[in-house]
Amino acid sequence: MALPYTHYYKLSFYALNLKKSGPLHLQPICCVQCNSNVSSSPFTEKHSLQRYQRDQWVYSSSDDQAASCSVPSDSDSVRLNDIALQLPELRKLLEVLKHKRESCGGQVPKNGPGNVFLVGTGPGDPDLLTLKAVKVIQKADLLLYDRLVSNAVLDLVGPDARLLYVGKTAGYHSRTQEEIHELLLSFAEAGANVVRLKGGDPLVFGRGGEEMDFLQQQGIQVKVIPGITAASGISAELGIPLTHRGVAISVRFLTGHSRKGGTDPLFVAENAADPDSTLVVYMGLSTLPSLAQKLIHHGLPPDTPAAAVERGTTPEQRTVFAELKDLADKIKTAELVSPTLIIIGKVVALSPFWPQSSKEASCLVEA
Amino acid sequence: MALPYTHHYKLLFSALSLKKSGSLHLQPICCVQCNSNVSSSPFTEKHSLQRYQRDQWVYNNSNNNQQLISLDGDDQAASCSVPSDSDSIRLNDIASQLPELRKLLEVLKHKRESCSGHVPNNGPGNVFLVGTGPGDPDLLTLKAVKVIQKADLLLYDRLVSNDVLDLVGPDVRLLYVGKTAGYHSRTQEEIHELLLSFAEAGANVVRLKGGDPLVFGRGGEEMDFLQQQGIQVKVIPGITAASGISAELGIPLTHRGVAISVRFLTGHSRKGGTDPLFVAENAADPDSTLVVYMGLSTLPSLAQKLIHHGLPPDTPAAAVERGTTPQQRTVFAELKDLADKIKTAELVSPTLIIIGKVVALSPFWPQSSKQASCLVEN
Repeated sequence: MALPYTHYYKLSFYALNLKKSGPLHLQPICCVQCNSNVSSSPFTEKHSLQRYQRDQWVYSSSDDQAASCSVPSDSDSVRLNDIALQLPELRKLLEVLKHKRESCGGQVPKNGPGNVFLVGTGPGDPDLLTLKAVKVIQKADLLLYDRLVSNAVLDLVGPDARLLYVGKTAGYHSRTQEEIHELLLSFAEAGANVVRLKGGDPLVFGRGGEEMDFLQQQGIQVKVIPGITAASGISAELGIPLTHRGVAISVRFLTGHSRKGGTDPLFVAENAADPDSTLVVYMGLSTLPSLAQKLIHHGLPPDTPAAAVERGTTPEQRTVFAELKDLADKIKTAELVSPTLIIIGKVVALSPFWPQSSKEASCLVEA
Repeated sequence: MALPYTHHYKLLFSALSLKKSGSLHLQPICCVQCNSNVSSSPFTEKHSLQRYQRDQWVYNNSNNNQQLISLDGDDQAASCSVPSDSDSIRLNDIASQLPELRKLLEVLKHKRESCSGHVPNNGPGNVFLVGTGPGDPDLLTLKAVKVIQKADLLLYDRLVSNDVLDLVGPDVRLLYVGKTAGYHSRTQEEIHELLLSFAEAGANVVRLKGGDPLVFGRGGEEMDFLQQQGIQVKVIPGITAASGISAELGIPLTHRGVAISVRFLTGHSRKGGTDPLFVAENAADPDSTLVVYMGLSTLPSLAQKLIHHGLPPDTPAAAVERGTTPQQRTVFAELKDLADKIKTAELVSPTLIIIGKVVALSPFWPQSSKQASCLVEN
């Protein structure tokens, strides 16, 4: 679906009667200029049209809302309003599900908890889902997703499934987060199949462990369906062996995200500066300049081959190849955005796409 | 199919007319006592019945349906002579298979020439390196399944589970190319050349790899060879053992406040390669998770070195044999006890080892010290 650069949306969705993405009939109330990056992104951008379409099931049965538009200038407020609006709808869905299960109580072997799955969806290409993930997704009653789950993957859900965007925003109201957790619990206890979709693999920098913790403390068993982590999906795309005889005997995954209260990941730079290992940095765009400097400082050769891959495995994939010393600059010139994966190590030069001549070095490769 | 512990097979396959595993009618000629580990393994053991069944298409088309595997080239009576030397069997198999592979190649060439209208270009066929995951066939990606089902020829080794091999199309040919010590290099080259010929003839050739092809799969070496010959190799990623097994056990490889990075190592020390145990020094990081592939034989040494370089001796660890398959077995232990417990449990390859505080986050981590260092079976 080709979207114009100017998107029209309104906070009142009664004109839309959709359960998930489909043809769109909108009455222009207000308009927001979107940059082309957002309109062509394979992922759900925070205030994108796709997101509102998907989540609109929570609005369609709510009380009459005036057809006036009041777009708050503060994106956090929009977010909080959305969640607050969604909770009553989630509660309604929950009652519907409970009723459904009670009425076919004969079919449900036990009145035990429903199933909660943490499902890895891979880096973006829907063909990289595992068979198991597809089966689980198609049986889900409620799917929670965030920005790292590609649009193409979300298109695979069953016709009656409900999708709910739960991406984090700065300043997310903690009370509301707790309410979401409690609802998840209630859904599970009511016997619903709840799926929490995660980009890549849920247990590699997905914060999947934290989500499991919460539910398990409540006595709900969470099943994890692994996914193709970005390192695997993207190395396959580029033909870069993460380990290779005589070149790299180990591969290490790091995150560039420095979380408040967490150990500064840049501290690992010292023993990560190992020319016989491959380094893969997740979510590393903002801290890369600093990381590259530290690696070189701790002994990694400045001409170590490196690659930064934006939106890997999707049609919008873009790759920057450079030597480590030039990587930060080239990334900046190419204006790469998240999600971008960075691979550092001699193995990068084994890619058939690694530029051969120094003139071509540090070039941008588009899918 | 339940296999008795005693397997009957014969080197003469005239009584079998199968393309791939199916029902079996054998005339007992000789018998070999197999241990239960082999019969219940989810993987193709080197001299297992399943392997001979799968590869037997190469014997079918030969003259008289009386292809014999002989050690010295002479006709052999239908008596059993199980070579005591497994390497000889392997060499003989490949040598026997080459003529059959050449025949298949001619058939494919002919087929493509006759429907050249369908083939948009007479260019090379497709060669795929496909990751099949750690064993559970449900962990294949959609892309892997599509590619596998369109393959004309599939090469596989011991790390591709039997269940995955059951997914292949009905007309496909399977060929076991697992490495054995002392593998004859001339024959390896012949296989490479044949792969090349198949690709040039327009066939879809798939090289199946356990796990993910680019993580300790030596996928890079196979790509190199073909790419040097001008054949583009497409890589289909797979669920690497670390991901599949951590999901099974509910062990987050990274976890806020516990492990900020995860590192994959191999325990295999290859002749001429850097001793992987050298990495132990900077791998002894209590804030990282360590995952060791193919690490059974070098574990006692690795564990000692890690502790020596500062990793706490009570660091939680797990060793998982045949992960994600019905035969999965797990040993949980503190690092200092891991080698002993693995030995007691008699774990065999493929076994993945995970070392780090995250292991204790598993719902299956034994809670009391009495239960610690216990064996968990599926």
